[in-house]
Amino acid sequence: MPQRSIKAASPPWEIVALEKFSTPQNTQASQWRRSWRAAATSLVGKRAAEQQAKDEDELRLLPEVKLAHLVPPIDWSSAAALLSQTLFQHKLDNEPVVFFITPPHGGHAPIVSHWAEQQGINEIAPPTYQELTGGSLEWVERCVPLKRWAVPALERHLLRHSYGLQGVRALLERAFSGRLGQGVIGCDSWTYAYLQHVVGVEGAPVFTLQALGGEQLAHYFADIANNGKDDICVYSTRTGNPVLGHSEEDNTAHKASAHKELQRLAAHCRGHMGIAWHYWRARLRGAAAAKGDDASQDTSQELWLVDALADAELSADTGDVAMLVLHTLLLHGGLEDQVLGDVLPFSHHEALNARLALARQGILARKEDGRWQVAPLSYASVRQLLETRNYLVDPL
Amino acid sequence: MDDQKQYAKLFNDIDSQALISLGIILASVILLTVVSQRVLNGLANRLHGQVRFRIFALVPLTRLVILIVALAIAVPIMIEPSLRNMVTLLGAIGLAIGFALKDYVSSLIAGMVAAVELPYRPGDWVDIEGTYGEVKHVGMRTVEIQTPDDDLVAVPHLKLWDTAIYNANNGETSLQCVASFYLHPEHEAQWVRKALRDVALTSAYLKFDQPIIVVAEEKPWGTHYRIRAYPVDPRQQFLFITDLTVRGKQVLSRAGIKPALLPPDVALEAPDVAGGRRGLRD
Repeated sequence: MPQRSIKAASPPWEIVALEKFSTPQNTQASQWRRSWRAAATSLVGKRAAEQQAKDEDELRLLPEVKLAHLVPPIDWSSAAALLSQTLFQHKLDNEPVVFFITPPHGGHAPIVSHWAEQQGINEIAPPTYQELTGGSLEWVERCVPLKRWAVPALERHLLRHSYGLQGVRALLERAFSGRLGQGVIGCDSWTYAYLQHVVGVEGAPVFTLQALGGEQLAHYFADIANNGKDDICVYSTRTGNPVLGHSEEDNTAHKASAHKELQRLAAHCRGHMGIAWHYWRARLRGAAAAKGDDASQDTSQELWLVDALADAELSADTGDVAMLVLHTLLLHGGLEDQVLGDVLPFSHHEALNARLALARQGILARKEDGRWQVAPLSYASVRQLLETRNYLVDPL
Repeated sequence: MDDQKQYAKLFNDIDSQALISLGIILASVILLTVVSQRVLNGLANRLHGQVRFRIFALVPLTRLVILIVALAIAVPIMIEPSLRNMVTLLGAIGLAIGFALKDYVSSLIAGMVAAVELPYRPGDWVDIEGTYGEVKHVGMRTVEIQTPDDDLVAVPHLKLWDTAIYNANNGETSLQCVASFYLHPEHEAQWVRKALRDVALTSAYLKFDQPIIVVAEEKPWGTHYRIRAYPVDPRQQFLFITDLTVRGKQVLSRAGIKPALLPPDVALEAPDVAGGRRGLRD
């Protein structure tokens, strides 16, 4: 795959202090709509609850090759460059610790890794599972004082286990005192919320990626599609209106309609690009090929976005065991089966059973490193359900 | 003869039309009460958190409103609602209640007071005279409490007049739980305090917007530690206490801290009068 230039396919990142983060317009309305949709689906069934302008059965999945061109992976290195600028602008070069947090699938680990690579800075390696569950502090002792250092994913340095907090406490104590030098810590927003209670991390400056709106998503998705060279047109199956359109049709009314549809997606994803990207990639469809046509030879640029909010929703009567599994996975930024069983208050068998059931429903997905995490397409509904049931949720 | 005429005047002529009207009112009251209770209870049981308690609180209140409206419609059908008639009727009812149905009516009236004052509502965890459990249903005469042993106990509302009612969560989602640890006096108390706090902080059931307090109290036989913390949902209280106890014991045992062993002649603390709730929570 050709390397895209930052200018052509760079998302409109903005790095802001945590207190300046704000969700996109209509996020609350999106949550109400999700609740209403769940209630309507349970009363009248899924098909009847969804009013569609285009029958989704007439559409077909896009070939992987085409998807890779239309929706290439997010290039986080541009956000790393922006992080560097932000640290310089805020004169944070001398702060002992700066946190950079994003929600699951939000890219904090690759961004901080890219940043460390760009700056030529060493990363602090995470402890082993045995060190975490044994309460060992040897891995902290190994952290020799450096001028500058980075932790791409702090969630790998702790466990919600009787002995799983000592290490991260010792590490943060050394870091806050400046004994380790100056560092940037990438952290999952859920882990950060947990650490606020168990360690206390409010003293350090915290930055995050600002939420994106519908217009910004529209520009980004148009730009990344074949480097912005191809003129693609994407329609919504819900309304039948264009979501991304031909440039010659770019009048104000047309743009407003398209942005409104993507604003709906942005609100559903709470403005997080990582989640929105997964939705976009999973929901793009092609028009049905005529009989005898080879799908892989398809050159049609008319695409459809199936209703972005339709699938992978958790039902309101989800049991406590499933909720505990989901919350635990979110607090740790994903876990392997063995570790999951160790941090839950029930047997490994029950934990595995619950995890299997959730994975089968599409609520959980396996990451490249083998850890199970809440799937991007379920994240919004899982977060909403955890919040309504008074579980600790992230600040983003 | 005049007296008979006067009593006859008290009641309207109950013709077939009046009987049909009364029958319709009675049927409507039963139907509306059953439907409203089923719908509201069903809805509340599907929800969690604060909304669940708000909807549960509407159950007895809705029934009270239905009854008042039905009485307001039915009474004028049976009697002429003049001052003299009402005084006569209420006097006769008062006499009957005073002699025969005192406790029954007292419970009914207390039930109305309970529907307005809300000393308990479905979903609350209450302790009434040693019966601790979750309020399952607030009826006309009794409140039904499901104990942790799965017994359903019907307690008459008239207890409201002269009995202390302990409500552990009072319509909220916060219910404090207490896990106790009895330790041998020779140990590093500061370390134990921190370790027990970490045990609470690493519980999957912990509610984070409430404080965690570790209380230490010196006794003649050793030290009594209590973790006071809140579970995410009041229904998780026993699982939460068990989780704290099991993991707390594991941490203390691994650190070589011995439990307190009482000599045979030392009496245990007097059992709590309230029984179930405080026995479990303290």
